[in-house]
Amino acid sequence: MNDHEHDAEYKDLLDAARQLPRSIEPPADLWPGIKERIRAGKPRILPFRRALVLAAAAVLLVVVARTLVPRRGGGWVIERQAGRPLVGATRLAAAGTVRGGEWIVTDASSVAVVQVGSIGRVAVKPGSRVQVLAVRPTDHRLALARGTIDAKVDAPPRLFFVETPSGTAVDLGCAYTLEVDSLGNSRLHVTGGYVELQWRGRRSVVPLGAIAATRSGVGPGVPYLADAPLALRRALDAFDFGRGGAAAVRAVLGAARPEDALSLWHLLSRVDGGARGPVYDRLASLVPPPAGVTRAAVLGLEPAAIATYWSTIRRIAWRREILRGIRDIDPRTGTARPIQTSPRAPASHR
Amino acid sequence: MTEVVRRAQAGDEAAFERLYRECAGRVYALCLRLTGSAADAEERTQDVFVRAWQRLGTFRGESAFSSWLHRLAVNVVLAERRASQRREQRVRPAEDPAALERPGRPATAGLGIDLERAIAALPEGAREVFVLHDIEGYRHEEIAVLAGIAEGTSKAQLFRARRLLREMLDR
Repeated sequence: MNDHEHDAEYKDLLDAARQLPRSIEPPADLWPGIKERIRAGKPRILPFRRALVLAAAAVLLVVVARTLVPRRGGGWVIERQAGRPLVGATRLAAAGTVRGGEWIVTDASSVAVVQVGSIGRVAVKPGSRVQVLAVRPTDHRLALARGTIDAKVDAPPRLFFVETPSGTAVDLGCAYTLEVDSLGNSRLHVTGGYVELQWRGRRSVVPLGAIAATRSGVGPGVPYLADAPLALRRALDAFDFGRGGAAAVRAVLGAARPEDALSLWHLLSRVDGGARGPVYDRLASLVPPPAGVTRAAVLGLEPAAIATYWSTIRRIAWRREILRGIRDIDPRTGTARPIQTSPRAPASHR
Repeated sequence: MTEVVRRAQAGDEAAFERLYRECAGRVYALCLRLTGSAADAEERTQDVFVRAWQRLGTFRGESAFSSWLHRLAVNVVLAERRASQRREQRVRPAEDPAALERPGRPATAGLGIDLERAIAALPEGAREVFVLHDIEGYRHEEIAVLAGIAEGTSKAQLFRARRLLREMLDR
């Protein structure tokens, strides 16, 4: 890939970027603060002898550090945030290194923060047991046996994984909270980007603003929005992990809003053939399928049709979340409607 | 090298203030776009000029003062980001919708204001690469050195940023 590959594809965006103003005046005059800091600060040019002493001290520090600190590869920096987390067999006083195979254990008052290579960070919340499984550049992998982690990853997809007893969370460029209870069941809440949950071929894609549960021996359930109606959430729980069956599916369809299209899309491939028609019809009434996606193709679970429909649903959901408060996004189509900034009087009153 | 720069190098505070008045808008715009936050941008702009004062002695006039200052500003912002990542005590969403609501956006019209907001809402890594490459004209190899990332990562982040911006701006 060269520097300008894709430039043509993004021409309008690049044109707009080039037209952005090069200069923006700060909202306040920053000079008084700068002047104060300059006057209070160190001499602008260090005297030669002082610079020499500092340089010698820095070299000495590096030599001492390299001599005293054991150089074992394959670890991540871990910092204590509260209490005294346990890393391997050692209580963490301030900061240290956690290596592949080691466990991080927090009690009821401990919190530790792990720097996941150069791609992100994970906060291990109180009452948690986390094992570092892999610290390779292409495979950053943890196991969450119990408790809660907050993860934030800023990297291309599929470089960071968290295994739980009931499924694996695969980072697709995201931030999320993942909880695992004493039975190995988990709950994932995505606060940025997307996460994929996997277990033995069963797969859920959980976007920003959505939640999904996993159960031991079952895997991931159908994801739903954090603000989904209670009736829908209960029905999904009964369908995924209870014996809700056809009644639960009907309840889901009855409670679903256009915003819940992501749940219905997941349901398509999880219901049996007879129930798929009503699920598709309800989904299509809430979010019309994109051009080229036919009812027959979706009922036949043709991969291209399913993927294209998902792209539309995913894009609408993401735009709704990211543009919340700025644009009113139609949950059926994803198109924007301008937000009224001031109330307008009805025509008859003007 | 201009006379005003020479005077500032000699310790003339008034001359340095004049350099600040000339360059503050350019530095602030860069800091605003790199950080996505008006409050952070004000802090970083101050940091840049304090650092510039401390390092004026190293400016030899091989490039324009504004170019030297611009490069220094990029270094200051990226270094602060790396430092704050190390000490950050909480995890912030990568795609934080609240970022779109941050104050201090420049009042440009049409697509401009949308694009500024959308840039502010990008994940940090993607935002930095987009600003440096597509707005400021840096090459991937330069960004890789400045940000301490692989050149391939810079390219991947740029592609990601463009795709995310397209999604946000697409009506």
